[in-house]
Amino acid sequence: MPAPSQTVSALRSLLAARFPERTRRPCGGVPAAVRALDDALGGGLPAGRLTELVSAVPSGGGQTVVARLLASTQAARQRIALVDGSDGFAPGAVPDDMLRHLVWVRCQGPEQAFAAADILVRDGNYAVVVLDLRGCTERVLRRTPASTWYRLQRAAEGGSVAVLVQTQSPLVPAVPWRLILDESLSLADAGAPREDVAGRLAVRAERSHAEAAGELAG
Amino acid sequence: MNYAVLSVPDFALHALRRSDPSLCGRPFALVAGDGRRARVTEASPEALGVAPGLASTLAMSRCPGIILRQRDPGAEVEAHRLLIAAAFTLAPRVESTGPGCCTVDLRGADPRQTEALMRLRSAELSGVGLPLRIGAGATPLLASYAARCADPVLIVSDPAGFLAPLPLSFAEPTREQGAVLAGWGITTLGGLTALPKAEVGGRMGSGGVLLWERAAGESTRVLRLVEPARSFAAQWAYEPPVESTEPLLFKLRRFAERVALELRGAGFVAERLSLTLLLEDETDHRREFRLPEPGADVEGWLRVLGGHLATVRTDARVAGVRLVASPARPPEKQEGLFDTGLRDPASFWENIARIAAIVGDDRVGTPAPADTHRPDAFVMQRPAESVAPPAQVPVHPPFGPTLRRFRPPWPVRVTCLEGSPARLEGGRLEGTVSAALGPWRGSGDWWKPGGWEVETWQVELAGGGLYQLARTQGDWRVEGMLD
Repeated sequence: MPAPSQTVSALRSLLAARFPERTRRPCGGVPAAVRALDDALGGGLPAGRLTELVSAVPSGGGQTVVARLLASTQAARQRIALVDGSDGFAPGAVPDDMLRHLVWVRCQGPEQAFAAADILVRDGNYAVVVLDLRGCTERVLRRTPASTWYRLQRAAEGGSVAVLVQTQSPLVPAVPWRLILDESLSLADAGAPREDVAGRLAVRAERSHAEAAGELAG
Repeated sequence: MNYAVLSVPDFALHALRRSDPSLCGRPFALVAGDGRRARVTEASPEALGVAPGLASTLAMSRCPGIILRQRDPGAEVEAHRLLIAAAFTLAPRVESTGPGCCTVDLRGADPRQTEALMRLRSAELSGVGLPLRIGAGATPLLASYAARCADPVLIVSDPAGFLAPLPLSFAEPTREQGAVLAGWGITTLGGLTALPKAEVGGRMGSGGVLLWERAAGESTRVLRLVEPARSFAAQWAYEPPVESTEPLLFKLRRFAERVALELRGAGFVAERLSLTLLLEDETDHRREFRLPEPGADVEGWLRVLGGHLATVRTDARVAGVRLVASPARPPEKQEGLFDTGLRDPASFWENIARIAAIVGDDRVGTPAPADTHRPDAFVMQRPAESVAPPAQVPVHPPFGPTLRRFRPPWPVRVTCLEGSPARLEGGRLEGTVSAALGPWRGSGDWWKPGGWEVETWQVELAGGGLYQLARTQGDWRVEGMLD
């Protein structure tokens, strides 16, 4: 009788061979203008998929990623929605010109955030929807039923919107691409242009079912 | 085609059915008279074996389960107003000819466009429970004949060919005239008009001439025009009062269908809706909605109204409902050559409205800087319809990590060393400061009440993390994290 790990590997290989479109590396839909993140994702946030960005340490650069996304979507004349679970976005922290294509939803808790994200992901007018759950109570987030996440994933699939979920700890079940910011910025970065700050962000891909399956298949 | 007649056969029946959802798909008939003398005046197609003129008792025995109802004047008025509204979308000169019938003067209208509009209106009204037939011809009479034969639109371009096979009853001869013509072997309009008009007049008198003219469709008249709607409102009284949202939404849908058509006919769209629920205890619940996208889209209105009604709790039952639409000219815009517009504007604005219902009207939109230097001052604006190309490279490009605010700011105790923060203590944030930048001082509105003054620092904690501190009147707060 084969060991369980061999069975799982064999199953993954079989799935990867049968559904290659599900296991290929993401080809970026929307560049985040953050080198480490775009490299990890093969060019940018994949359209029609959820990507989880975990800010595992304080000042890991999650908000800088949002600011860079604002810049890159504006350059591409695309619309972006920010579902702000704890109402933390600071409009004054980015140039005024980069706010004009933004729809900001100031939520008062994860429940509102999930409801708003569910609507926006299905809308079809946005290139990127950022669901920022940082600052929300961890206990409440942990109680979020997995079906909520699957529903969001199903809503994104088939569409052209890239969904970035920002969390403080890994939260999204079965997310295709989870990236972790685990190095804090320092005050020495305060005087550097934001583009350079973004270039220094350290992004680590913690788990990727897709990649794992692809490697096993290979 | 100079005239069009819009007609709804079995009008009273359809008007009642579209106002009462319980009648949909069930056999029912309208009766006139009381008790045993009541007789069927109109019967629905589901009422098999029941025909106008049948006694109500006989109708019940022939069709078990049949619903017998008296005519509903309120429902007929509402349905007739819908019909008039549809007529005004064809041309501005409209006559209310009778219940379920109106005549439109089409002279000057583009024939191709008008025919397309007639087919569209017919399909729309059939979809909302009024099977509309439209006939068009050179005279109002010819148009009315055409409407009686239409399925659903008939335009008469060859009057003689159209009229020839029609039965003589179309020209409404008197009993005596009918008997005389039957004796001559004439049963169709074509048969009568084949006779010389003067000879018919010589034998049947002036009545015969008028009959001949009606048979030829030549009879014309001056239309008694009605004024287009000036107010776009609808009201209904429930008897008995209702307790749930379903009957409210059903009636609001009917109102919306009519009011939207009235607005379109007048070249308007709605920019606001006002909903009033008249309660049984003689109070009312009133709410005004500013539509996210001015328009005359019934489904969009109903989503707004339905979303609100789902959250409404009243102390008493609802005895009536009133809907008023505030008209506005349709928004016109010209976007820049390189702007990116919305793929689906209706969905965009509708979803913004749905999110506003969840988080609050003032908590969704596009942020814009307020006219002050006060920290965290911004205004929420309506999102732009198009994404403009980026401006030139900003004069002051952004520097450093991006601030993420804590709203409200966290109170913190700060121990300073040589004027600079050295340690933070408080409920949510503690640690030794390893590096600090600042202070940046700002103030404003000092010339009026509500002036502000703030000293801002950026600090890095030894354990990691960059934070922005603010001191106001000696109190320290953590404004946010530099992230």
